[in-house]
Amino acid sequence: MNGANGHIVEATHISRVFPMPAGPVTAVADVTLRIAPGDHIAIRGPSGCGKSTLLHMLGCVETPTSGTLLFTGNDVTKLSDRQRSLLRLRSIGFVFQRFYLLPMLTAAENVELPQSEANVSKAERRGRTKELLEYVGLASRADHRPSELSGGEMQRVAIARALANRPGLLLADEPTGELDRATGEQIAALLDRVNADGTAMVIVTHDPALAERSTRVLSMRDGRIENETASA
Amino acid sequence: MNAMGFAWRSLVRQPARASLGVLGVAAVGALLFDMLLLSQGLVISMRGLLERTGFDVRVTATDAMPGSGPLIQNAFAHTQAIAKLPSVRSAIALRFAHAVVPNDTPRGLYTSFQGVAGTATHPWTILRGRDIGTGAEIVINENAAGQLHVEPGARLTLRAACADEEQALPPVEFTVAGIAQFPFDTPNGTTLATSLDRLADACGGNESGEADIIMVASQETAGPDAAVADVAALFPDLRVLSNAEEVNRFERGGFTYFRQISTVLTTVTLAFAVLLITVLLTVSINQRLGEIAALRALGFSRWRVVADVFCESVLIVGGGGLLSLPLGGMLALGLDQILKRIPGIPAEVHFFVYQPSALQIHVLLLAATSVIAALYPIRIVASLPIAATLRDEVVG
Ligand SMILES: Nc1ncnc2c1ncn2[C@@H]1O[C@H](COP(=O)(O)OP(=O)(O)O)[C@@H](O)[C@H]1O
Ligand SMILES: [Mg+2]
Repeated sequence: MNGANGHIVEATHISRVFPMPAGPVTAVADVTLRIAPGDHIAIRGPSGCGKSTLLHMLGCVETPTSGTLLFTGNDVTKLSDRQRSLLRLRSIGFVFQRFYLLPMLTAAENVELPQSEANVSKAERRGRTKELLEYVGLASRADHRPSELSGGEMQRVAIARALANRPGLLLADEPTGELDRATGEQIAALLDRVNADGTAMVIVTHDPALAERSTRVLSMRDGRIENETASA
Repeated sequence: MNAMGFAWRSLVRQPARASLGVLGVAAVGALLFDMLLLSQGLVISMRGLLERTGFDVRVTATDAMPGSGPLIQNAFAHTQAIAKLPSVRSAIALRFAHAVVPNDTPRGLYTSFQGVAGTATHPWTILRGRDIGTGAEIVINENAAGQLHVEPGARLTLRAACADEEQALPPVEFTVAGIAQFPFDTPNGTTLATSLDRLADACGGNESGEADIIMVASQETAGPDAAVADVAALFPDLRVLSNAEEVNRFERGGFTYFRQISTVLTTVTLAFAVLLITVLLTVSINQRLGEIAALRALGFSRWRVVADVFCESVLIVGGGGLLSLPLGGMLALGLDQILKRIPGIPAEVHFFVYQPSALQIHVLLLAATSVIAALYPIRIVASLPIAATLRDEVVG
C-alpha cells in the first residue's frame, strides 16, 4: 500500500504559490517531509506561516505548484479530481477547527456518511458506527443532533467520522481551536489514543501543550519548516 | 444516505425555505397548468360541442358566422338534394332570426328564433312535452319558459324580426309543443324554434327556403371528408367544411390570441419559478459552503455534492408541482366561470379544458424548471475550492 520506503506521504521540495493581484503569495516554500505509518506530527508556527496550506497539500485537497508529492507512492499531481476524492475518502481523515458536522443529521448518521459514500454495506456501517461512537465515548449520544452536543462532543463525533473508513492518516487543523482548555485536553488525549492504535496523524496547532504530545514537532515560518524537534 | 435522502434532510432542516419554494412553485405551477388548459381549451370544447350535435359537415353561404352572413338561397331544396347523396345520412337546414314575445315588460321578451327543415332529427333535446309537428308549433328552452311563464300546451303570440331593417311584422300565434335544450344556448339566452316554413311565414312569407346553415351528418361508411367533397361538387358556390376543418379555422383565426397570451404568460411565470428556486438554493448553499467543502475534503466526489443540490431542486419543484395540480384545477374552474359571463358564449363552451397532453407538457416544463434552476447553484458547488473555502470559513 505505502510508498517505496513504507512512507504514507513523501513530499519533496513542495511549494504552493497563490497568484494574487498584488503579486504572487508563496504560502508554502520548498518543504520536504516524509510521513511514516504511526507518526505523530505537530505543525506549529505563527498565523499565516502556511500551516493550513501544507496540511491541505498533505491531505490531497490542494496540489503543490512545484515539487513532488507522493501519497502511498502515487503522484498526487497526476491524479484526477475524482481519483483524489477517492483517495481522501479511503485513506485520509480530516478534523476541522469548526467540526463541520452536518446539523440535520444525528451523530450516528454523521459517522455513517463517509461509509455510505464508500459503498460500505448497511450492516457493516451500523457496526462500525457503533464501535466508533463507543471508542470516542459517545455511544449514548448516537441519536443526538450536533445542536444538542457540546463543542467537545461535536469534535469527538467529528473524529469518529474522520476514522470511519479506517484511514492511515488523520489530519487535524487546530482541532482544539474552538474549545476551552479542559475540553481541549480531552480531545488531545483522544487523538493520542487514535495514534497509539495505529493511525498516523498531523496536527496543526497554536497550542504548545498540544504540540508537545507529538513525537515530531515541525516549526514553520514564512512557508518554510524552520526546524524539526523530536520530543518524548 | 443517498443524495435524495440527503436533499430531503436539508430541506426539512430549513422548513421556512422549503415551504417558500414549494408554495412558490405551487402558485407558478397552478398558473402554468391553467395557461396550458386555456391555450387549447376553447378549441377542444368547440370541437366537442360540434361533435355532440351529431352533424359533422357544415354548409354556409360564406365565411361569416352563421346568423351574421348572407343566407343560403333555396335551402330547402338544397337540403333535400344533399340528403340524397350516397355519402350523406341526413341533412338539416337552419335559419336564425329573432322574435319579440309580449310579457310583463313594456318592450316584450327579445329572443332568438330558429327554423329547421330537413331529413335529420332536430338539433335539440326535448325535456318536457313533445317535438314540433306540422302545425303552428314551437319548442322553447327553459329560460324562455321561465321568463314567459308558459308550459307545453300554452299559446304564444310573437312578432318575428328577420331582416336587418326591423320592419313591423304582423303577430303570429304558436302553440308551445315542448321545452327543449339547444346545444348552442348561452346560460341566460332564450330560444324558440319551429319549422323553416313557419319561420318564413312569421318573417312575412316572402323568404321561404332561405337558411343560414345546412348541417349534414355523413354516412359512417363514407366519413365527413367524402361528404364534404360530394356536397362541394354538388354546390360549388357554397362553403362546405367538416367539423375538423371548422375547428382548424377557429384555431387559425381569433383563437390563436389565447394561445399567444398563454405562451407569453407561461414563459414569464416559468422565469419567475426559475429565479425563485435559483435564489433559494443559492442562498442556502452559500450558508453551507463550509460543510460542503468539509464533505469534499472527507472524500465526497464533486458529482455527489452536485447531486445533492440537484435533488433539492427536484424535491422543491416536485412538491410544488404536485400541489399545483389541485390548485390549478380550482383556479381554472373559477376563471372559467368568470370568462363565461362574456355575453353570447354558449353554456356548453369552456375556456379551460383538461386533456392529457396539458398534463404532460406541465410535467415536462416543471422538470426543465428544476434543471435550469439548479444550474447556477450546481456551478457554485462544482467549482468550490475546497482548501480556500475551509480557510475562509475560519479566518472570516
Ligand atoms: N487560497 C488562497 N489564496 C490566496 N492566498 C492564500 C490562500 N490560502 C492561503 N493563502 C496565503 O498563504 C499564506 C498561508 O496561509 P495559511 O496556510 O492559511 O496559514 P496558517 O494556516 O499558518 O495561518 C497566507 O499569507 C495566506 O494569506
Ligand atoms: Mg490555518
